[in-house]
Amino acid sequence: MDLRERLLCGAAGRPRPLIAVAPGGTRVRLAAERTVRTRGWVEADGPADADLLLVCGHPGPELAAAVERVWAAMPGPRARSQMVRAQGAADLVEVGRRGLADWPAARADVADRLSGMRIDGRPMADRAPDRDGLKLDVLHLPLGPILADWPAGLALRLVVQGDIVQEAESEVFAGSPSVGRDRPFWSESWLRAAGGERVTAGDAARRRAASHLDGLGRLLSVAGWPDAATTARGLRDGLLTGAASSTGIHRFVRRIDRSRTLRWLTDGLGVLDDAVARKHGVPGAAGDVTARWRRWLAETGACVAEFDRDDPLPGQTPAVGPRGLLGIGQAPSATLLDLLPGLVVGSDLAGARLIVASLDPDLDEVTHSDQLGGEPAPTRDGGR
Amino acid sequence: MVESAPLWSVLVLPLVLGALAFAVAGLDAVVAARGLRGARGVGGARGGGAAGLGGAVRLAVTAPLRDTARLLVQRRRATTRPDPALWRLGGAVVFAAGPLAALVVPLGRYAVTDLSVGVVWFNAMEVGVWGGLWLAGWGANSAYSLVAGYRFVAQGLAYELPHMFALITAALGAESLRVGAIVDAQDGLWFVVWMPVGFVVFLVSAVAMAFWGPFSAPLGRDLAGGVLVELSGVDRLLILAGRWLLLVAAAGMSVALFLGGGHGPLLPAWLWTLVKTILVLAALVWARRRMPTVRMDRFEELAWMVLLPLSILQSLVVSVVVLMRAAS
Repeated sequence: MDLRERLLCGAAGRPRPLIAVAPGGTRVRLAAERTVRTRGWVEADGPADADLLLVCGHPGPELAAAVERVWAAMPGPRARSQMVRAQGAADLVEVGRRGLADWPAARADVADRLSGMRIDGRPMADRAPDRDGLKLDVLHLPLGPILADWPAGLALRLVVQGDIVQEAESEVFAGSPSVGRDRPFWSESWLRAAGGERVTAGDAARRRAASHLDGLGRLLSVAGWPDAATTARGLRDGLLTGAASSTGIHRFVRRIDRSRTLRWLTDGLGVLDDAVARKHGVPGAAGDVTARWRRWLAETGACVAEFDRDDPLPGQTPAVGPRGLLGIGQAPSATLLDLLPGLVVGSDLAGARLIVASLDPDLDEVTHSDQLGGEPAPTRDGGR
Repeated sequence: MVESAPLWSVLVLPLVLGALAFAVAGLDAVVAARGLRGARGVGGARGGGAAGLGGAVRLAVTAPLRDTARLLVQRRRATTRPDPALWRLGGAVVFAAGPLAALVVPLGRYAVTDLSVGVVWFNAMEVGVWGGLWLAGWGANSAYSLVAGYRFVAQGLAYELPHMFALITAALGAESLRVGAIVDAQDGLWFVVWMPVGFVVFLVSAVAMAFWGPFSAPLGRDLAGGVLVELSGVDRLLILAGRWLLLVAAAGMSVALFLGGGHGPLLPAWLWTLVKTILVLAALVWARRRMPTVRMDRFEELAWMVLLPLSILQSLVVSVVVLMRAAS
């Protein structure tokens, strides 16, 4: 083995995976994240940083094209794994990792790659007045659909000047239409109860707490606090696999709630009026970013007391899901997507990422057709 | 008495800096792995490989090695219509700034070069990062990296004045800009005892200068890696390694300026310097885990309204003490 092969084998012991998720792939994503976390790997920030691409779920045609663009942007040596079921996810991750240490495959990959497409003759940027009346360049910048710590399947098309968002428009990249869809994972307990199945209140409390911990993990990661994000995700995995730790959750809630630095950083961003939020059935999204994550923490702490409840969940309509009211005709995440552009305009890119992370729309709810017997949510494919 | 070392010490400096940077990168990996295990979720028996002291040491050694190996075998990337020369130059400048600044930092009784204006040299070399990191962000012709480059410019605007006043305060206490003279002036009493604000401000500004930890917004995850978004392979390694080297150089300088350099009982001076530097770095790594990344639109106000007046007041107190000492 020459030096490069040795380095390759050494490097393959600690890959940096990039997890690309399609709507409907939440279970698979959770399994993949659990595998990555328990093996001590750090997720990649973007394709330039990544060497292992993990595609979770069935992407639709536009989303598959985005995945291919991300794959092309990854420098070698690289490997990819397509995962469609949560059960075999860990094995597929390992197969992908072993593919990284494959020296002949890495050399073949290099030989096959084109030398990079050069696109010349770009038009010059438009100029338009900004908020101070200056004429600045206008840049059309999409956030998503494949981005670290970002809701799966969401693309937010921004018009930015400098790094201030002037206009925003949300777009949904759906999962593959040919595959039958399960219920959205995070609202599953309430949808099943409304459908007549017996769901215990303890299961629903666990699902709600896990949903909030998932959102908190994304928010803390976007806020640049990887330690807290990892803790949140570890607690979430514990809840979903039945190894819940009440003391761990309480300790985590206390620690994050006490963090004055995080409050100082997220105060005043993305303020949603209380009355507007209640009218649209998303009372949990009222206030600024700080109010939203503190509400998540409070609800998670409150759910701990209900983990052991055995009584059945009443199958009422509307039910209060983790993101809002279920069964009022439009999924709460669809409402959040409608409200999102208005909240994001005027903030800078960092603020926009925090606002999206604090609202945390779940696009499984948007692309799923059966909403507690109400009208099917309109599926907007990414083809506008 | 701190003196300049002979010329061959220029070759020893990268080794010492590199070893310290390696050690602190390993410590960072171990602390991160402990955070993984402390999550009390489904951690498994391996928990990221940091079980027990032996596992922690093994992880501290293998994690930086594996990360470096990964970046060495990774191919470099190109974007459409970058400024290739300035783009790569930015990374090289960031990499060179730490070792250049550390030329005046003494290890025990010897510094590579004990310039008569060592404090100014240190500041000048680390200010090179302003140009280097911004060029690395601008040269890629990518929106995220450009925004991140400007984040660092804003960060520089926030930390630089408090940083300079902290440096001036230590120089005032010794009445000299020579780092060796500042170390010698701490023979009886370390400066941190009567300039605590200066020490804290220096550490905060040093972390901001090294765009590490709570001040790593220019490399932020919310911008898919910030300045590093289009970089891979050796170019990425240059900036990441340069960041660790800057942090080590700044920690070494804080020891020389405020923590008495090599002064201490029993152990030889160079060992004391190393021990104190490692303690400062360990404290920084520990503190990083407890804070989110600070955004400049919030920090700018704090830096100018709180840190700057405090560091000026500290300078005033030190000046009065020095004048009284000279008068008596």
